[in-house]
Amino acid sequence: MMKWPGTARPAGRSGSHSVVSAHRNRALAVALSLTTAGALAAAGCSSSGSASAGKQVPASAKQTIVFATQGLGAEGTATQAAVKAFEKAHPNIKVSILTLSPTADVAYQQLTQRFTAGSSTPDVITSDVIWPSTFARPGWLANLTKFHPDTSAFFPGQMATGQYKGGIYAIPWFINAEGLYYRTDLIKTPPTTAAQVFRDAIAAMKADPKLKEGLAFEGDKYEGAVTAFQSFGGQIQPANLNNINNPSNVAVLTMMYDAVHKYHIAPTAVSTWEESQVQSAWLSGQTPFALNWPYIFALSQGSNPSYPAVKNHTGWVPFPNPTGGKPQASLGGDDLVMNAKSTHQAAAWQFIQYLTSDQAQIARAIAAGDPPAVKSAYTTQLYAAAPYFKQEQAVFSAATPRPVTPVYTQISSQLQTMISSVLSGQATPSAALSATAPTVKQLQQTAG
Amino acid sequence: MTSPQESAATAGPVTPARPAAASAIGRPTPDDRGPRDRRHYSLLARDRRFGYLLVAPATLVLLAITAYPLIYNIWNSFQRDVINSGIPPTFAGGENYKRIFTDNQFVPALAHTAGFTVVSVAVETVVGLALALALNRKFRGRGLVRAAIFIPWAVPTVVSAQLWKTMFDPQTGWVNYVLTSLHLPLANTTWLAEKWTAWGAILVADAWRNTPFMAIVLLAGLQVIPNDIYEAARIDGANAWRTFLRLTLPLLRPALMVALIFRTLSSFLIFDVVYAMTGGGPGTSTSVLSYLNWQAFFVYADYGYGGAISVALVVIALVIAAAYVRVFRSEQVL
Repeated sequence: MMKWPGTARPAGRSGSHSVVSAHRNRALAVALSLTTAGALAAAGCSSSGSASAGKQVPASAKQTIVFATQGLGAEGTATQAAVKAFEKAHPNIKVSILTLSPTADVAYQQLTQRFTAGSSTPDVITSDVIWPSTFARPGWLANLTKFHPDTSAFFPGQMATGQYKGGIYAIPWFINAEGLYYRTDLIKTPPTTAAQVFRDAIAAMKADPKLKEGLAFEGDKYEGAVTAFQSFGGQIQPANLNNINNPSNVAVLTMMYDAVHKYHIAPTAVSTWEESQVQSAWLSGQTPFALNWPYIFALSQGSNPSYPAVKNHTGWVPFPNPTGGKPQASLGGDDLVMNAKSTHQAAAWQFIQYLTSDQAQIARAIAAGDPPAVKSAYTTQLYAAAPYFKQEQAVFSAATPRPVTPVYTQISSQLQTMISSVLSGQATPSAALSATAPTVKQLQQTAG
Repeated sequence: MTSPQESAATAGPVTPARPAAASAIGRPTPDDRGPRDRRHYSLLARDRRFGYLLVAPATLVLLAITAYPLIYNIWNSFQRDVINSGIPPTFAGGENYKRIFTDNQFVPALAHTAGFTVVSVAVETVVGLALALALNRKFRGRGLVRAAIFIPWAVPTVVSAQLWKTMFDPQTGWVNYVLTSLHLPLANTTWLAEKWTAWGAILVADAWRNTPFMAIVLLAGLQVIPNDIYEAARIDGANAWRTFLRLTLPLLRPALMVALIFRTLSSFLIFDVVYAMTGGGPGTSTSVLSYLNWQAFFVYADYGYGGAISVALVVIALVIAAAYVRVFRSEQVL
């Protein structure tokens, strides 16, 4: 807090006694206006953070750590339950939840702003699997190697998302992968080729006029368009980023375009659809195929609310690669990361360990449908409560991470525009790819 | 400002009988000479100093929250500064500004923004004026209608944009439902999936929210026009159209100009409707300058280039404002 000389000066000393009262008024007015300015200035000053992580508080001390996480509905409730259980096991540590936006892009910006300001909180942060290297490059994340995490406990694809320049910056929390839902009552055999998906979709729509679509997927101009592109077989691994204009990407984009504009199995509206629209198309029973994340499985089999069209008629497989290669279910899910400036790192690590314990993972899987990131959590206890997790293994085994690169957000923005312009019919697949490839290459080169 | 009480206090001990008003206006009177004169002027100077002192805090706050960010941003725009690159900022010269001209997204975004501004302001002015004229007439329940018409303005833009996005949804929105029920064309349009229909949807969402603002400002302008002018016109035999053209419109000019400046500038800086409804898509066909600016800052974390776009936006906004003020002045002379 700053001291203002004006407020301390005794009023009216300089003038003759006849002007004292006027001076007092002035001094009061000045004092008032300066206090206002001072308060504003102080409010402005208090937000600037320290330059580096301060003195560490030992894990045994009484303390509060801040956990930044998204969380609406079942996921939010599951998080609160996990926090309560942790606090019970560690009575000296309180966990305060800082809620981030449910929209990934917005949450990313919220975190970026906090980190840029140099804030020492939040201590533990839920991070989308695509963010850790982006956050690690400017030194915002604590290197967790010092805690000797057991890397073999997690699915390797997701463990890789937290690695940057030899350090470990993220611990997987729950895994997610995008696969193809199919109606077991309409589609007799699960498709093994992309052509079969298209044939079956056309046939199903012909046989049942109530079906509005043959294949639902998300094509709006947002991150989901990129995961859909990758789940359909798009090649965006770091090795491909030097030239994404390759034959398999042309084939995948052409397939997406054809689904909308040639075979009309996907509505033109998919170029504005996000997961929620795909979800309602699937749950209402208006499509035999839908590309989506595992949470749909839990919803489809749920009884409150119940979706009779899909209940007990839900199958889930990785989308067959149209170029004949291995199917690649785009890897999603969330990691846990630690703020480099946190002064509660020991307690924060205990919290991360708790969240990735078998019990906490199983509890979250059952309560919120979030598939455990820890392999040993796939137990008979889990299958007994939610048998569909057994079926989900096939998709998780095909899980392919999006490129682990610190410039992923920028590259994704380019890919989103590219996919959007193809789906809306503004550019041909090869024109869109050749327009986007140089920028992506340039971005990837700046990543170093 | 000199308060009466203050001038009484200063003049008091010397000439108690003198009317306080003379020194209150601070102009020396014929008998206001001699040694008192100097004292009088020094008091004036002190008043002035005191005045500066009083506005100083407000000035400081203004400097802190407008001048500082503006100058800091200009400084930034000459830096190579990608905040999450881990590379410390370096001086970039005019590199970021050069990039504006080579960026293949900037010129289309500028064209989109300009086109949108012209069309949306024109539509909102015409509809807003019609609404204002209607609301200026006496009818039952006028107060209620006036309040009701203002509701869209009270809805936050992002919320109204999101609502319109839902309403334009081909499967769940009422727009296509109504079109289908009435057997009208375009009933099968996926509004946000094509360039021009997306622009149409954005325009509707923007006009729905901002026309009431136009209407209220113009209504205020209409209400200060004295009624006897209209009576005179009626006696002179002018018909309604002529009265509108020759009386209402010229007398409404000041209000119209204020409304136009406000709406043009905020139309030019349109962001939230585009952000919520299309994200600049499909492709980049509804990308506007503010969206590009947001993208540079928050997607690319590029504070140098983002800063340069901001400066460009400020310059364009200043030019628009200056143009309006010029038109406004020359009209006033007539």
